Amino acid sequence: MRRLNQDAVIAIFLLLASGILFWSTFSIRTPDYGVLTPAAWPRVIIFALALLSFLYLIQSLKKGVDENAVADREPGLKSWLVYWQNPIYCFALFLTYLLTLPVLGSLIGGVLFVFILMSILGGVSKEKIVTHAALSLATVGGMWCIFTYGLEVILPQGMIFSAF
Amino acid sequence: MVIENVLAALNELATVQTFILMVIGVAGGLIAGAIPGFTIAMAVVLTLPFTFGMPAVQGIATMVSVLVGGLSGGLMAGILTGIPGTPSSVATTFDGHPMAKQGKAGLALGIGVWSSFFGGIISAILLMTLAPQLANIGLEFQPWDYFMLVMFALTITASLAGKNLIKGLIAGVVGLLVRTVGEDEAVGMARLNFGNDALLQGFDFIAVLIGLFAFSRLLHDVRDPESARKRLSAGTGDGNISVTIEHLAAIKIIFKHWTLLIRSSLIGVFTGVLPGAGGSIANILAYDQAKKTSKTPSKFGTGTPEGIIAPESSNNAVEGGALMTLMALGIPGDVTAAVMLGALLVHDIVPSPTFITEEPVLAYSIFLSFFGATFMMLGLQSGMLRIFVLVTRVRMYMLAAIILGLCGIGVYAIHNVEFDLWTLLWFGILGVLMRQFGFPLAPMILGVVLGNIAELNLARAMAITTDLTLFVTRPWALFFLIIAIFSSAFPVYQVYRGAKKWTLFYLPVACFAVSGPLFMMGGVPRTTLAAVVVLFGAYTLWRRQQAGWVFERDEEEIEKPQITEGK
Repeated sequence: MRRLNQDAVIAIFLLLASGILFWSTFSIRTPDYGVLTPAAWPRVIIFALALLSFLYLIQSLKKGVDENAVADREPGLKSWLVYWQNPIYCFALFLTYLLTLPVLGSLIGGVLFVFILMSILGGVSKEKIVTHAALSLATVGGMWCIFTYGLEVILPQGMIFSAF
Repeated sequence: MVIENVLAALNELATVQTFILMVIGVAGGLIAGAIPGFTIAMAVVLTLPFTFGMPAVQGIATMVSVLVGGLSGGLMAGILTGIPGTPSSVATTFDGHPMAKQGKAGLALGIGVWSSFFGGIISAILLMTLAPQLANIGLEFQPWDYFMLVMFALTITASLAGKNLIKGLIAGVVGLLVRTVGEDEAVGMARLNFGNDALLQGFDFIAVLIGLFAFSRLLHDVRDPESARKRLSAGTGDGNISVTIEHLAAIKIIFKHWTLLIRSSLIGVFTGVLPGAGGSIANILAYDQAKKTSKTPSKFGTGTPEGIIAPESSNNAVEGGALMTLMALGIPGDVTAAVMLGALLVHDIVPSPTFITEEPVLAYSIFLSFFGATFMMLGLQSGMLRIFVLVTRVRMYMLAAIILGLCGIGVYAIHNVEFDLWTLLWFGILGVLMRQFGFPLAPMILGVVLGNIAELNLARAMAITTDLTLFVTRPWALFFLIIAIFSSAFPVYQVYRGAKKWTLFYLPVACFAVSGPLFMMGGVPRTTLAAVVVLFGAYTLWRRQQAGWVFERDEEEIEKPQITEGK
């Protein structure tokens, strides 16, 4: 069986997504008034997406698999994780920041997020820890002060901060 | 009337607080522009949350200042280190860096700074004079025309943004789709929210922009652990910090090449007006034109002043053009203008052809802040030289961590809604994936920005009449449709130019097609313009027929042996 290239896989995914989205437009309620129904515009867009995805699929199938292409990483899950480790750290930490926001608030959570992320991405040493701590406190703390006191925007305080 | 509006706008802008904010904005933009990989759009989008709490005039003036600063920040790093801070200063390095290496860094910087200044001023003058005229044309647009204008903006952005037109169009369509999520604006029915109440309000436009642009860019930049820990411009430009900018000598040289300055600035303004094309295209176009028209083209690349004047004046002139279409028609010229549109919407201002007449103080505040920021940029660039070079020595991982942290606070601050932070995360992931798989982000951003404009105009058109033929029979709608088709075909034309016979007919056919709706519009100026366009098309066709339908490449090949024989 012929191996599919990356573009073909994306095109198939987009076609499937178009199908699901088109199907979901049938659950949009239609009011008794107005000429253009609420589902009409999304359907036009989804139809265009499906059409373009189909053209993309044909284009990618015609191109075929480039056997001579030099991959910038070795195949396999382990090498994939190593290749994407930094973005994965960023996402995981940002996700943790979001989940702990009600407890830590944006000041403590933000400072911790920047400090931990810097230490993970840049490595740890005595000198670096001091630099990372100072930078995270100054930047996030400074931003928090500008918003809270300068622009009078209420940022999430979190359980810990509001307890004091 | 104009003087009254200028004075009223000046009255709004002339406060100490606004002045300080503008200085901070220009300085911030200059620093952001100096950092390789930190684009102007990113700088502007990250400033947006700060401006939310400000009065509209103050907020917009701050954003414009960041924009103007960002346009010029790239040249310092580009000339001194050879690494362009922004894509719009790539061509500056071609001659700026060689000139600096010859020991004339002060002169190179002077030419760059003053060319940016003059380019910005020319652009600001054109913005002030032409935007109201363009708005008058915009008043003729009916919903059918607006809808087709949005379609044109999306197709041209898709065709210019990436190597693959289909990927660009898919990105644009996905952008339109993102904007449909939540309650529709016409009747308020829930759409594509899959039962999630948080999605009823739709995705916040700013959170989507920051996620797609800033978040994904930073993650892309720290992907490689080794390069993330390195300084952005390690080992370069160390000895150049003590450079003094040679202002007088630079001005003399620029005045000597005043035609080049004006031509390049006009190229910049025109590129800015064109949806989808920005500073990254303008600086290369202007450099190429300067080389072609120069008496000494062989000197280009070795440190000639013309090679700095052209790109720097054009890239600063771009935003004047982009703001022109934004303010006059409500259509952003590029991604940065799209972010500016977001800023206006945050302050409940919706640009349209009536914007300048209905909100003259605000419109003229934008014009004046563009002017003022250009002067501030000139002063700050001279004083902050050392900081620009130092800033390029920051390590990428530190920059990324800090900006991600600031994004987390800034995005929340806009609407005080936690869901926006989730939007930031999901669109950050989507942005990384799109970059990885070669989908351009610009069409998607334009799609998100223009999605509701397209839908609202479609709804208005259908409410007036269900006759769909009006989308192709009204002169303006037909005009936009024709240029959308030809701009979509342009990448294909470029690929096959000089190889396929049909490419010989591309330009003449485009001229004939465009002249049709121009004739339909009527009136002396447009009929004359249409006649000129037809004549140009016919002349091109005649020349090619006279040449025996040979390709330009063939003509060159024919000419070469003749020269050899002559020798």
